[in-house]
Amino acid sequence: MTNTLLHTETQAAGDRPSRSPVRFLRMRTMTRVAMRMIFHDRLKFAGTLFGVIFAVVLTNQQLGVFLGLLSKNTMFIDNAGAELWIVPASTKTLQAGKPLPMSALYTARTIPGVAWAEPLLFGGATISLPAGGSEPLTLIGTTAAHWRGGPWNVVAGTVDALRTPETMFFEDSERDKLGGLNIGSVREVNGHRTIAAGFTWGLLPFGPSYAFTEYDNARVLMGTPSDETSFVLIGVAPGANVDSVEQALAASIHGNQVLSTSEFRSLVLNYLLTQTGIGTTTGSSTIMGLLIGLIIVSLSMFSGVVDNIREFGTLKAIGCRNRDLAFVLLLQATVYAMIGSVIGLRLVSLMSDAIRSPKLALVLPWQVFAATPFAMAFLCGVASLLALKRIRKVEPGMVFR
Amino acid sequence: MKNLLNNGRAVNVRGLNKIYGSGAVAFQALKDVDFHADVGEFLMLSGPSGSGKTTLLSILGCVLRPTSGEVFLFDRDIAPAREDEMPSLRINLIGFVFQGFNLIASLSASENIALVLQLRGWQPKEARREAMKLLTDVGIPEKGNSLPRDLSGGQRQRVAIARAMAGRPPLILADEPTANLDGHTGLQVTTMLKELARVHGSTVVVVTHDNRIFHLADRLVHIEDGRIRKE
Repeated sequence: MTNTLLHTETQAAGDRPSRSPVRFLRMRTMTRVAMRMIFHDRLKFAGTLFGVIFAVVLTNQQLGVFLGLLSKNTMFIDNAGAELWIVPASTKTLQAGKPLPMSALYTARTIPGVAWAEPLLFGGATISLPAGGSEPLTLIGTTAAHWRGGPWNVVAGTVDALRTPETMFFEDSERDKLGGLNIGSVREVNGHRTIAAGFTWGLLPFGPSYAFTEYDNARVLMGTPSDETSFVLIGVAPGANVDSVEQALAASIHGNQVLSTSEFRSLVLNYLLTQTGIGTTTGSSTIMGLLIGLIIVSLSMFSGVVDNIREFGTLKAIGCRNRDLAFVLLLQATVYAMIGSVIGLRLVSLMSDAIRSPKLALVLPWQVFAATPFAMAFLCGVASLLALKRIRKVEPGMVFR
Repeated sequence: MKNLLNNGRAVNVRGLNKIYGSGAVAFQALKDVDFHADVGEFLMLSGPSGSGKTTLLSILGCVLRPTSGEVFLFDRDIAPAREDEMPSLRINLIGFVFQGFNLIASLSASENIALVLQLRGWQPKEARREAMKLLTDVGIPEKGNSLPRDLSGGQRQRVAIARAMAGRPPLILADEPTANLDGHTGLQVTTMLKELARVHGSTVVVVTHDNRIFHLADRLVHIEDGRIRKE
């Protein structure tokens, strides 16, 4: 028996083995106790787990909607194929504002390191419907033959069809809304005859859907003078340094901004988060989800301690220390967080697949999935503080009453 | 362990006082108590409700601090011990038998016993084996995997006794061990406790007012109004 007795109070200090195996053994023992306790009361286990799952689903759903909205507003910048943009000085988001002079385009083409520079027209338009009425569009004019700036995500037609006069690509998911559009359908856009030549999928920003046409046609439809454009897209030559080209452009283009794609994206995101209600609305829902989850888990863990108060008193009486019991609670909190995260994320994933559409898509990058268990472990840890406080107050002497 | 036992006294209490609360609501539960238990003794502490016997047991069990006085468990005065020393004193010196059994509901009978051994530093496999041996000693080897809810009152108290004996602590404190048992089972269980303590060489202090088991005591101490009345 003495061979297995690793450490007792009665052993002389010099005989004591290192404390780490004892500590490890204690942790192992308390782990077993924690696991048994957690799964013993299945109703309480289910209730606490529900709180975590609820928090995971609600926060991730809100976060997914939020990131989805943000991505809708930056998808054009991400997919335009440019490394640098020349934008009007006052630009805060991807909207047609004060026009750029075409001289900016010509200047850009002379800068060393610029592989190509193309104009982009961007503005609002209205399509008349056969049954009367009209719908707004976000009209984009791009140049042949590379069609930088779109269309992309083409699901019907070929992009080169836009070389044909009066043709336009529309958003596939808006076909019914635009009066049952098909390839060859004729509509009036800004009072001009327009033929549907193809369709894109999912190009719905947080506003009117994108419609693409050849640059000169767009200029006619929007009534833009030939010496003006909305943006200039720039590609950097292979081997050239993007930052250096950006600086050279900025030095040559006066009165307007030169932005890299990531800078433009950040500008748009900053505008959306600070100047619109998107951040506040979805942010508050996300925090609300976390708070509700926190309250459910917190109350559940606290009632778990209160219900088992005698057991915790017994554990103290037979030699468990406060930190052993704190370990039990924190381990239980972690288990709840992990199981709740796995189930919750699976539900969010199913929900995301079920509701995915061009109009609404939950965007949940892997980082969100990876961070969720840690966030929930933190939440459950915080939730267990109340229970921990109660456990600290448990007197082992209660077992004699 | 031997160095702890060399004064011949397992428990030695001198001038012990315990006052609950303060001021007008102060209540003195123990009044200048002198008390001892010899090594290997099977001692019973009896007295009416509110006499202070549970308070005395709690102080001996290192779960309650005395207001004043000396409390020696073997050669160690526990009265001035720090709060954070108490758990290790309990785990290394004392085995408890509670009135309400106080088994951990989610652990099986053998796991309840092994838990104490593992807290004392035993390897899990050894602890499990020793737990099964102790269950055999208390006559219910077949109940090792049973949860407390699946055991009768007598069986639960047998598990509690096995748990108290786990690791052979030198002192066993039992609080009304027969209170939740019928007379026959109570007698059986107390007889078994005495026999096991004798085999293990443990000193046992039993708080009880069950006069059906008084005859099992090596010595009977009566406490009343916080004072030892007779031995």
